[in-house]
Amino acid sequence: MSDIKIKSKNLNVYYGNKQALFDVNLDLNEKEVTALIGPSGCGKSTFIRCINRMNDVIDICKVTGNIEIDGIEINSKELDVVSLRERVGMVFQKPNPFPKSIYDNISYGPKIHGKGESKNELDEIVENSLRKAALWEEVKDRLNEPGTGLSGGQQQRLCIARAISVNPEVILMDEPCSALDPIATAKIEELIDELKKTYTIVIVTHSMAQAVRVSQKTGFFHLGKLIEVGKTEKIFKNPDNKMTQDYITGRFG
Amino acid sequence: MWLKELLKNIEKNMTKEKRLKKRHNAEKRFRFYGLASIFLALLFVLILVQNIFSKGSSAFMKTAINVEVFYDPELLGVKNGATKDEILEADFFDITIETLLKTFPTNNLDEENQLIDLFTTDAELEIKNALINNSNLLGKTVSLEITSSDDIDQLHKGNYPRDLPEERRRISNFQLSIYDNFLENKKIIKNFNNYFFKNGDSRDPEIAGIGGALVGSFYSILICLLLSFPIAVLASIYLEEFAPKNKITDFIEININNLAAVPSIVYGLLALQILLATIQLPRSTPLVAGITLALMTLPRIIIPCRASLKAVPPSIREGALAVGASKFQSVFHHVVPLALPGTLSGTIIGLAQALGETAPLILIGMVAFVVDIPSTPIDPSSSLPVQVYLWSESAERGFVEKTSATIMMLLSFLIVMNFLAVYLRQKFEKRWN
Amino acid sequence: MSNEHTVKSYEEELQHLTDSVIKMGSLTETQLVDSMDAIIKVDKDSIDKIIKSDEEINKFRSKIDTQIMTLLVKRAPMAIDLRETISSLKISQDLERIGDLSKSNAKKVKPLPLDLPEELLSNLKRLGDLVIKQLNDVIDSYVNKNFDKAKDVWEKDEQVDDLTYIAMESVIEFLSKDKKNLDFSTHLIFATKNLERAGDHITNIAESICYLIKGEYLKGNRPKGKVIQE
Repeated sequence: MSDIKIKSKNLNVYYGNKQALFDVNLDLNEKEVTALIGPSGCGKSTFIRCINRMNDVIDICKVTGNIEIDGIEINSKELDVVSLRERVGMVFQKPNPFPKSIYDNISYGPKIHGKGESKNELDEIVENSLRKAALWEEVKDRLNEPGTGLSGGQQQRLCIARAISVNPEVILMDEPCSALDPIATAKIEELIDELKKTYTIVIVTHSMAQAVRVSQKTGFFHLGKLIEVGKTEKIFKNPDNKMTQDYITGRFG
Repeated sequence: MWLKELLKNIEKNMTKEKRLKKRHNAEKRFRFYGLASIFLALLFVLILVQNIFSKGSSAFMKTAINVEVFYDPELLGVKNGATKDEILEADFFDITIETLLKTFPTNNLDEENQLIDLFTTDAELEIKNALINNSNLLGKTVSLEITSSDDIDQLHKGNYPRDLPEERRRISNFQLSIYDNFLENKKIIKNFNNYFFKNGDSRDPEIAGIGGALVGSFYSILICLLLSFPIAVLASIYLEEFAPKNKITDFIEININNLAAVPSIVYGLLALQILLATIQLPRSTPLVAGITLALMTLPRIIIPCRASLKAVPPSIREGALAVGASKFQSVFHHVVPLALPGTLSGTIIGLAQALGETAPLILIGMVAFVVDIPSTPIDPSSSLPVQVYLWSESAERGFVEKTSATIMMLLSFLIVMNFLAVYLRQKFEKRWN
Repeated sequence: MSNEHTVKSYEEELQHLTDSVIKMGSLTETQLVDSMDAIIKVDKDSIDKIIKSDEEINKFRSKIDTQIMTLLVKRAPMAIDLRETISSLKISQDLERIGDLSKSNAKKVKPLPLDLPEELLSNLKRLGDLVIKQLNDVIDSYVNKNFDKAKDVWEKDEQVDDLTYIAMESVIEFLSKDKKNLDFSTHLIFATKNLERAGDHITNIAESICYLIKGEYLKGNRPKGKVIQE
């Protein structure tokens, strides 16, 4: 029903001599939440870090194969990583706001991309981003206080607001709730539900329940291979692959 | 049977208790050792400080003798109401001798000489300066405090044993009697020793000061800072953030660590060979000293600088990269500002080490006897640690307290710098969980 | 079940649940056999015993309910485990209904005369035997997680419907012989209908088992007896 936003074809990733991903072929639909599950070290984080080429930072990391966003290859040398990351935002496992004010945290992205020339425009971007991240009401009176002074859940929403601030098309989330309590987690999940109307979201999670709750599509990774991908409901009610079944029912090992 | 069991049980409990006791005892012992070593260390520090203070604190005061000076225009060879320039030109030798001789009756030339020796060799200058500062004094009699010679100074401060036989004393019986007479007439006074801070080095302890060494040290450290800080910071940023991790960078890293451990005298030799012999920079100057100290300080700044860059969590870099910052932006907008407090305090501590360094400076000729206070970094100069070294070698008793006093100055600079480093780190360091 | 769960107690809880369902199934089967016997032999002494055993079945039902609630809360089962849990719930419901039907049949024995016609009884017995066999088979297929057998049971419901029709015919024939028979016959019609309903519940169970095993419901319409379809 929805269009394919991101398409990976025979994606292989190597860390030095160790291969981390094996021929991953995965299509992610536009304006949908795709959850990636699998045991630790199975390559799901590696996969999403390929989508915004975060792996470039690691010297020994080598990527072969294709990832296309809107049909355009992103692994090509001509593509500027900075503009790619402007289109593909990322939220990390541990909330990592800059140790600056809330306002500066949000306005940093637009500033370096030359968005929001005047102070008014920037103010607007900051407010909109915080509103979208459902944080505005909580912080509107203390935009100049440090972002690190917020609670864990608020920090994570601040990071989401920061990702939104540059108006990306895709948001990657690498276990965004693993450091949060259930209430903060619920708020983030509610937020994801809201955000999927505008953005294509890929979320890596270790919580099956969370994957079921937030995603429409689920992919299961094991030892660097994409074992099974399909509608979330199908995966969690009646997966085709025995390995998937064993993993989600807690029979692994 | 059951009795055996019971005994066994009791034994088991006993051994358990014993083990527990042993464990507690081990902990107590360790605490005691720790406390003892801290106490010992504190004791040594106290002894050192007490020693230096007891010897050095008197150097901040000097002994002076109250004399009546009649500024006789005739003797000076100037007219009443002479201008400043004329006074500057005038010869104050005669008036000085006359003034000093007036203080105590003498019978012969030898006694006259002995009397004059009680005053500093700069007595003429002091009398002249008083008139220059206030030309109204011309033709009037005023009471002036003339600095005493170092022997009288030491005698008055109680550092000089009077009960030695005369031939082994630097002060004759006649001079002692004059001193006692002065003391009785309350002519001997103690005042603040401004010469110690103002003057350059001198052969006469009473007018020798650390002024030249202070300025020399200041220039050296300034040059050292200007050279080492930017180079060290750029090198650490490049190595930590941009350089690929491979064998070459590993090799460089090991060598930086090795360089930090190289004895400082080696840097002195290097400077002697390259800066003085090859490039022919002026000897004994703060410029050469600064360059030498910069070479020595570089690795010592690079190491804490890299450590503080490393301490910035990678999540901050990732956060910046993820919103689309370039590598350069992520480093200079986020990582460097966060690492700056650590970098600064590392730099200050490195400079503090450089400030106290003696060996390389001796090699590049800073031990030269320099009386003038340097006005530029390319004038010959001394420096604080070298001054300590020089004075500690001198025979005169007056230099003993000056050595200690210089050490006190040096230590207080170091303490201030270290406190500054700690303050900077605590005030500006950002904490994250 | 392929691998064991990493959490042993989870494995045990699931096993207990399955065991409870199987025990409940065999209780229901015994009760059905007993009630059938009572009708055929018009044995009025065993009625109380059958009614009592229904209480036992009801107790099992609530025990299984509790087990399922605990499982859902504690383990949040996924995939096969989720299907296992949910189908246990449905199967226990169906078994309980079958138990109710057996009880109701047993109650119908009381007013029956001892001299019922041979043909009527044999028709009823054929239907009863088939339903019993169906129940037996379906429980078997549950124990062995045998999809084919469960599907077989599902398809055989057709025969139950057919036999029900035949049994009904003979009851009506018996009724038409003598107006005095009206009272017994009504009871017998209900009993026959009950057996047919029991067959339907067995079909439900077979469906649940198929879903449990394959993860999807059987396709196509439920089988209907040929006679009824016409």
